Amino acid sequence: MNEILLSNEVIVYLLSEAVLYMLLLIAFLVTLGLVRKWNFDAFTSEQFMWENRSYLVVTIISFAMLLKLLLLPYFVYTVDNLSDLIPGAMCGAGVIKANEYGNPLLALKIIVLFLSGLWLSVNSLDLKAKNYPYLKAKSWFFIVIFVFLSVEFALDILYFTHIETSNPVTCCSVIFGVSGEANDLPFGLNTPRLLILFYLLFALLVLTVIASMPLVSIGASLLFVIVAYYAVVYFFGTYIYELPTHQCPFCMLQNHYNYVGYFVWGSLLLGIFFVFKSAVMQLFFKRSSKKLKRVSLLFLTLFVVLCSFYVGLYYFENGVLL
Amino acid sequence: MIILKNVYKIYNEGTPQAFEALKSIDLKIAEGETVILNGVSGSGKSTLLSLIAALDKPSSGKITVGGELISKLPDLHASAYRAKTVGVIFQHFNLLEALSVEENVMAPLINSGFDMATIKRRVMKSMALAAISHKREGEVKALSGGEKQRCAIARALVYEPQLILCDEPTANLDRANSLKFIEILQSLHEMGKTIIVATHDPLFEGLSFVNKVIHMEDGKIVKREE
Repeated sequence: MNEILLSNEVIVYLLSEAVLYMLLLIAFLVTLGLVRKWNFDAFTSEQFMWENRSYLVVTIISFAMLLKLLLLPYFVYTVDNLSDLIPGAMCGAGVIKANEYGNPLLALKIIVLFLSGLWLSVNSLDLKAKNYPYLKAKSWFFIVIFVFLSVEFALDILYFTHIETSNPVTCCSVIFGVSGEANDLPFGLNTPRLLILFYLLFALLVLTVIASMPLVSIGASLLFVIVAYYAVVYFFGTYIYELPTHQCPFCMLQNHYNYVGYFVWGSLLLGIFFVFKSAVMQLFFKRSSKKLKRVSLLFLTLFVVLCSFYVGLYYFENGVLL
Repeated sequence: MIILKNVYKIYNEGTPQAFEALKSIDLKIAEGETVILNGVSGSGKSTLLSLIAALDKPSSGKITVGGELISKLPDLHASAYRAKTVGVIFQHFNLLEALSVEENVMAPLINSGFDMATIKRRVMKSMALAAISHKREGEVKALSGGEKQRCAIARALVYEPQLILCDEPTANLDRANSLKFIEILQSLHEMGKTIIVATHDPLFEGLSFVNKVIHMEDGKIVKREE
């Protein structure tokens, strides 16, 4: 057994994921019966049994999904901590790149988190009604999510069991380049264009949310999350590290940078999630919530202000930009 | 109107210990009626009350109260229904012993959203109805059985529910307190409340304000008197 699997964080993480997966597997099996046999208009003992079981399923899924929300930052923290064990790794960027499963796993975790959040929202709507109007819809939705969860769990195992502590890995400075030149950016962007795009997309997102344009909001938020990632890694992050060659999405999660990365990425993901939630509620459930829109704008604005703050702070302290 | 249609309740369903507590119950109770459920212990009276109170769900069948389908209410809504529509008086009172009478009566209104003045007014009114106002500051543990029962009545009435369910309400009371309880029931009946009493106390026989007597045996309704 390698050192990775003996690390306290990995043991806790994998055990938690395994227990949650077992619970979700039970919920999945019951859900398969629910979608086939559910008939709210029936007053038979079988239907009453399914109604009772639906409580069990909803409780299990809600519990597991809420814990998975907490497990994502813990996963990031675990990966970041493993950098001490892997030669060449200075932060989570190196550890994630330690094998081919790391990046798909991280992406899948974020997707599962979004889907789980949306499931919890549909569930909350269903519980507010007296006649389970969305029970079948949320059951099918859970079946889809469970497929993602299964792949995620398999990737979790594959990832942690395939990290070699004897092979050196490349870390952030190598992965993301040392030059900070425009050719590191995708789509032929350079830094000024990236920043213009970043602020324009933020403005577009704000406008579409305020103007209640759900489809455009979803499109704009997908674009914004991609552009925001590059903007943080290649521009704003360098002001957090105060080093133009330090282009890394992970180091800012460390104690050395006051864990500011959790706030940066957290506010971005929460902002985008609430835009999605608001759009889905409008598109599929014909419900428009001002509160939801305000929350999404609050997180997105916090993200943009936080990123911009470090640039302003650096300029204020040094009188120049990087 | 309370309507029960072909209601069954089976405990431990699907196991060798399965027990049919209620079998094919059909019952209609009009608003403002007082109904006595009569029968020996184990005949299904309390189970029937718990289903009408949405404390439990039937194994099959339909229960509607005031047009609302109670037998299929999700838990969240069942709690709201119990709080707003039903007042339950139990045989063992189920009071919080460490609190005063007033605090016990106030307890159901804690999360009601009413302002304090409304809460106080309702608490005073229901304590007066149950004839327990004189003990409002006394601790429940220091009360007699009859006083505890009147405190439980006040608590059941504080939300001003239309439906009052009583499960063996006089089983722990002496004759004088039982008669006092029946007196309070009569005044509630005159206020237009729907009242269902599960009891095998002979004191409830031949009461003038009772509209129906339902006799139960082995989970079935065996006789109806109107």
